[in-house]
Order: sequence, then structure tokens, then C-alpha cells
Amino acid sequence: MVVGEVAVETDVIIMGGGPGGYAAAIRLGQLGKSVVLVEKDKLGGVCLNRGCIPSKALIHAADQYQRLNDLGKMGIRLSQERTTMDLGVWQEWKAGITSQLNQGIAHLCKENGVTVVKGQATFLSDDRIGVETDGDFETYKFEQAIIATGSRPFIPSFIKVDGEYILDSTSSLQLQEVPSSLSIIGGGYIGIELGMAFAKLGTKVTIIEMANRILPQVAENLVKEVTRNAKKLGMNIKTSSRVEKASVVDGQVHLHVSSEKKGTEVVVSEKTLVTIGRIPNTEEIGLNRAGVTVSEKGHIAVDIECRTNVPHIFAIGDTTPGPALAHRATKQGIVAAEVIGGVPSAVDSPYVPYVIFSDPQIAGVGLSREEAEQQGYSVKIGKFPFSANGRALATNETEGFAEVIVDANSHILLGMHMVGADASNLIGEGVLALELAARVEDIALSMHPHPTLTEGWMEAAEAVLGHAIHIVNN
Amino acid sequence: MLEFKLPDVGEGMHEGEIIQWLIKEGDAVKQDQPIVEVQTDKVNAELTAPAAGVVRKIFFSEGDIVEVGTTIFTIQEENDMPATDTGIIEEEIQVVRSDDVKVNAEHITTKPHHEAVRALATPFVRQMAREMKVDIEKVKGSGPAGRITESDLKQFKENNSITRENANQHDDKIVQEMAPMKDAIQAKGVENEWEERIPLKGIRKKIAEHMVKSVSTIPHVTHVDELEMDRLKEFKNQLKEYSDDKDIKLTFLPFFVKAIVIALKEFKTLNASIDEKTKEIILKNYYHIGIATNTKEGLIVPVIKHADQKTIFELADEIRQLAAQAREGKLSIDQITGSTFTISNVGPIGGMHATPIINYPEAAILALHKMEHRMVVRDLEGVIRLMMNMSLSFDHRLIDGVTAVHFTNRIKELLENPIRLVVEMR
Repeated sequence: MVVGEVAVETDVIIMGGGPGGYAAAIRLGQLGKSVVLVEKDKLGGVCLNRGCIPSKALIHAADQYQRLNDLGKMGIRLSQERTTMDLGVWQEWKAGITSQLNQGIAHLCKENGVTVVKGQATFLSDDRIGVETDGDFETYKFEQAIIATGSRPFIPSFIKVDGEYILDSTSSLQLQEVPSSLSIIGGGYIGIELGMAFAKLGTKVTIIEMANRILPQVAENLVKEVTRNAKKLGMNIKTSSRVEKASVVDGQVHLHVSSEKKGTEVVVSEKTLVTIGRIPNTEEIGLNRAGVTVSEKGHIAVDIECRTNVPHIFAIGDTTPGPALAHRATKQGIVAAEVIGGVPSAVDSPYVPYVIFSDPQIAGVGLSREEAEQQGYSVKIGKFPFSANGRALATNETEGFAEVIVDANSHILLGMHMVGADASNLIGEGVLALELAARVEDIALSMHPHPTLTEGWMEAAEAVLGHAIHIVNN
Repeated sequence: MLEFKLPDVGEGMHEGEIIQWLIKEGDAVKQDQPIVEVQTDKVNAELTAPAAGVVRKIFFSEGDIVEVGTTIFTIQEENDMPATDTGIIEEEIQVVRSDDVKVNAEHITTKPHHEAVRALATPFVRQMAREMKVDIEKVKGSGPAGRITESDLKQFKENNSITRENANQHDDKIVQEMAPMKDAIQAKGVENEWEERIPLKGIRKKIAEHMVKSVSTIPHVTHVDELEMDRLKEFKNQLKEYSDDKDIKLTFLPFFVKAIVIALKEFKTLNASIDEKTKEIILKNYYHIGIATNTKEGLIVPVIKHADQKTIFELADEIRQLAAQAREGKLSIDQITGSTFTISNVGPIGGMHATPIINYPEAAILALHKMEHRMVVRDLEGVIRLMMNMSLSFDHRLIDGVTAVHFTNRIKELLENPIRLVVEMR
């Protein structure tokens, strides 16, 4: 700090321009606050630039590529020429998408009076931050601050990401060519999403997961279809296995994998992707100088208004304990902004939906059957398979089912889960139903459009009541 | 394998003592067959088998104290095989473990677990609760399956404030609830028996909100002038016979309304408002004059629509009707909204000057004060005249001081010379 420096004064500083940070900035602008949003890289954060959006662009491209194989049975004959995937062209397409979204956010920030500063922000005290930009250093004095610095992939100490042979989720989405073989450390949702996409593009994929099944965070019955499909795609899945050592030998990655069943074996692949979790970016932002306390795992504890232990400093998104999901960050960002703006607001809903872009997709909200039972509910369950849905058959997407979990006493919905085509979009109905404290009858009695996959929810709800139309009620 | 965990058989029980096992390991049991007797601090409970099968393992001996939630025995179910996925439908009713408990003491009722989990309410109702500072978990829902509705919240809030007002008339429980509040007041050194607390609600609350909005949005300036009323009084008296014939009680107010409307047509920014959102000035070519009226409930402003198109007698009649309806609380929303300029006629009560608060979002308000004979100087001589003050508060964003003075000058000119008023009337 320079003696006599002049700090720029603002009502609110936001550290981080991801989906939580920029939403908070825009909401604060709407509420008439002066806002400085500091982002070291690009607006939109991991979600837009290196996560949700680019990965969905890859998954979509891979789906289209694979779908060509199924066209034959619908009578569509392709020319004899072999279909190929040019990942370089895909990269350009992806860059177009992210840049359009970047510009959109920048425009919204501008229109809402948000000052966007590019640089690395650190707390200097509990009412000042410093921002380093291209060798310059500016200080800002704030009334309130929101920490929205997000998270990054966790990489264990025995392995080093080089971006060429050993990749994290970010560098895997920057490949210019489809790798011939790819081993993925971690069978969580990122590993499965990217693994299935590359497998569809022709990569030989091996998944190495420590738990006894892939997607261990998700209820087991929802994962079966995905496991089956992964095997159909030729993916080699090694569960209850751990990687002991990784090395690059002659342009190939050698992973030493140990398991009780098989002892130690070496998995050789062109590239390796490490996706075993994420850690919050809370170490290098001077939280101690602001007096904000951090857990051992680096998370910042917050109350339902997103306040940290320092009442005028808020934290949102992946820096706080809970699932690292963009929509959770956005909700928290809006709540923090409203609390600062004097609007009574709180993150008080347990209904955080999850969406996994595996094949088929998995999505859900609320309690799983096991969780509901553990919480002492009497549970009724209704299931409806996609194979009994006309639209699913007509679009050749018959895998999966809709499942509703209901309190047997009150018939209030406790959870709605789905595995199947477009589950990511269909779960919206579940979120709304649970938030509105709907009974299973509310879903069953609502007219659902035909022919659509949404009928699956209606039939699953009717199944709970014992009168589904398109399946035999036991 | 089914693990049987010690349930909470009383409300909030933490542990229980195993009194007696009624079976031993290896026994085949039927569903609902008594298995073990447990003593808690409240009851003796006989716990029954949740399913038919063989008792595989008993983890505690008689006399052991066991925490709630600990597995005390396991049963190998008769059809204990991996769940098969039929791929079609799975409907199951699984009984809550605690429902399997047969409690000896009949007066104890177990509470369904889910009640404690989360109040049932939509996101909007939750937001409302936050705004009303109501702990939603304490509200009893009257909706389907106990859902909390908007009216449940309102009722809860209302009852709560009533019970706080009359705490001494209610039972001990309510007095206990009051205790922290009393403590807080006393801690601040306030003798709370010397003060009365009335919740700010109803019309008074609306008035409060409206006034705060007006003052915090509009920069108010008040300009005061005085009027000589002798000629107008004389003019009014001349009309008395005529108005008596028509059974109309003629006051000064219709004349004021007419003079103001004429002036408003000439000074358009006084009959205007600012649209905060679009940053536009809205000049209104219609003249709806609000008349601030005192009622039992508080200040109400009935509106005379299109005052410029009505005769003095029509205005007099309408004012009388509106005032009567206001006092009886019978005005419709339509009758109290849409004014473009407001008159506050405090004269009959008394007072010299005021700084009236503008009826947001209007541009100005005119208060008319007490009429009285005062000594004034005319042609360098002291004379007695019937005088009246008027105070005009105006929105200084929209209206400059000079404009405001021209406006009141024009009103003055018209009211001091009723002939001119008549001539200018349309």
C-alpha cells in the first residue's frame, strides 16, 4: 500500500464474476447500490467458460455424432462416407457460444450500473480490498462485500496436471483432437459426463472410482441405466479402485491402479482426466485480514442470509459448504444482494435440484427414498418407465423412469427423481411441485400435454395412487 | 437384514433402559410380535417386530441404557433377497419404525416425525413471512395437509399483536412469552407501565407509509400567503337564498376548488407528477381534486373527479356527500384514488401556517387555514379585514419557487375578486 493512496469508495464489492457473483452484482444494481465486480479472468466464471456451458456443448456434439448410428432404423440412410469429428471446429463453435454469453453478462452489468474491474482481489482489511491489474494496484473501500471466488478442481499431490497428458476438467474441454484413449480418475458426475461424451466420439474410456459404483452421490436405483449404457459404449469401469501412482512414459500415461479384487494393475492411455472433486478458492484472498473464518476444507460458513462471521461480509456459491452447483450460487448471490439492499430474503429452501448430463440424464430434487426413510417418513413410491411413454418410443429414447416419493400419511411430495432423456429439463416440474408443497394428487390431477415426456410425472404420481393408466398397477 | 433402531417413544426422549427381552437370537418372529420392553423416563414401552423373520443378533443386555437411534437387534426377513426392479411399478408403504411401538401408558401419543421437519408453505408465503417478521415454523397452517396460507400468516400476526397488548388477561404461557419483551424494555430503562404500545396497522399504517414515501421521495418546499376574504364572503352570502332554495349548504370550499382549477390550467406543472421509472414528467389535462378529510380512522382524501366541469353548486353537493361517506367509512377505492392535486382545508379547526405533505405522487398540496378578522394596512391605513392564510407545499424537482408564487398569486386574485372568478369559470 502506498501512503496517501486514494481508495475508490463503493457500496458493495463483489469478488468473483461467476454465476453467483454477477447475479448478485446485477441485483444490487437493480436495488440502487453502487457495485464494483472484480473478476480476474472472464465474466461468467467456471460455469460459463470452463464448466457447465462448454461441457454441455461437448456432450451435445457427442450425442449428435452418436445419434447418426441410430438413424438407420428410422429409415435414414447416410452416405457411405465415414462420419468424423473435428474437435478444432467444435472449439470455434464453443468459443462463439461462451463469447456471446460473456458479452451478454457484460451488457447486463453495464445497464445495471455495475462497474466491472478485471484483476485479482484481496482483502486488505474488513472494509478495503486491493485489486491487482496488469501491474497496477487499486484499493477500494466498501460498505459490504460478497465473496464469490468459486472453486477449482482438486488435484491430489501424486499427480500433476500438465494440460497435455494429464488434464483437469478445464483442459479436457480445450482439446483440439479426440484422444484415442482416456482414463478418468473419479466416477463422479463430471467424470461420467465427459467420459460418456468422449466414448461417443470414439475414445476408449476407462473410469477409475474409489467407491463401489459410479455416481456414488446419487441414489443407486437411478444409476443402473447409466452404468449399463456406459458399458454399451465400451467404457471400462473400475470401481473400488484407487490410483496409486501416475507417470508419463513414451507419450502415454501409466496409472498404477490397485483394488482388492485385482491387486495392482497398470492402465495405459493417451490422456488422463482428473475429476475427483473441487476445492474452494479461499486461500489467497486475504480472508484473515478481513476476519472471515474458514473451515479446514476451505469453506466459509454462512447463515441463511449468506452472512459470514463478519456481518457485513457475505459469501456465496462454491466458497460455502454444500454442493458446488451454479444454480445454488446464483440463488445465494441474489439473496445476499437483497439482504444488502434491505429486502428481507433468505436461502431457506432444502430443494436444491441436481442434474447430471450422463446418458441417460439423471435429475432430481428433494429426498431420495433412503433419505426419506431415515428421516422417519412412511414412504410411498410411484414409478413410471419411459418405455411406456409414447413420445419416448417415438424419439427412440426409452431408457429410464420417473420416480415420485411421497409421505404416505399426508401425500405431500418428498422427492422427485428421473433418469431418462431430457430429465434435466423435466425436473423443473419437480422443483416447483416441492416448493409449492404439492400433494401427489396435484401432479396426478394436472393435465399434462401429450405426447410429451412430462406425462411420466403424471403417471408416476397416478401409480402412487394405484391408478396409472399406461402401466399395470400392482 | 433389517436393523431395528431404538425409536423415540416419548416426545424428545434421548435414551431408554432395556427391561426385558421377550425373544432370543435365532427365534422366528411374526410381524408385530412383541420383542423387547423398554423403560424411558416417561413410559414403559413394548417394542414389536417391524417384519416377520428370524432374530439374528441382539446387541444389548437387560439393564443396559441405550441411546435413541442405536440399533438394538437385527432381523433376517423372510423374503430377504435383493430388491428386484420390475421395471414397471414399485409401490410400497413402509411403516415408520416408531409406529411399531405399542406404548403401555395410553396417554402418551407419539408425534409424527414429519411435523417437525419443515412448515409447508409456498416460496411466496415464506417471503411474506420474512417481510412480516413472522417465524413461519410457529404458524399453524389451515390449508390442505396443513399448508400455511397467506391468511394464516396475517391471522397469526394479528393474534400475536393482540395477545401482546393484553398479556395480563391471558394465561401464564402468554405472560411467559411476554417476559423477554418486558425485560428488553426494562433493560433500556423504559418504565413500560407508563406507556402503551399499539401496533401500527390499518389506515394509520397506510398513512404512515404514504407520508414516508412522499417525504423521502419529493423535495418539499412550502410557500405561505394570505388572502382577503371579505368580498368572497359577501358573494357567498348573496348566493345563500338561492342555495337554500336548492337545499344546498354552501361553504367556501367549492369556490376554492374552482379558483385552484383555474390556476392549475394555467400552471400545468402544479397538476402533474413525475414517473420515477421512466424519468418523465406527466402533465395532466384532467382536474381531480382531493379533499383531505378528517375521519375517526385518520386522514382520508376523497376525490372530486373532473372538478373543472362542475358548477359551484354541484361541487358543494359532491363535497358534502363525500365528506359524509368518508366519516361513515363508506368510500369506495375509486372515490379515494386518482387525485391530481389535493386541498387540505384545516381552517375550520384553526391554525395559521403549516407545511402540508404532498399526496404522493402529486406535485403540490394547498392547505387553507383559519379565516379571522385581522388588522391589515390598506392605503397606508389600518383596517380590519377577514383574512385567511394558505400554505402551498410543492415538489421542488418540478416547480420553481417563482412558479409557485405566481400560482398562489393567481388563486389570490380570483378569490379576492369573486367577479373575476365567475368570469373565468367555464
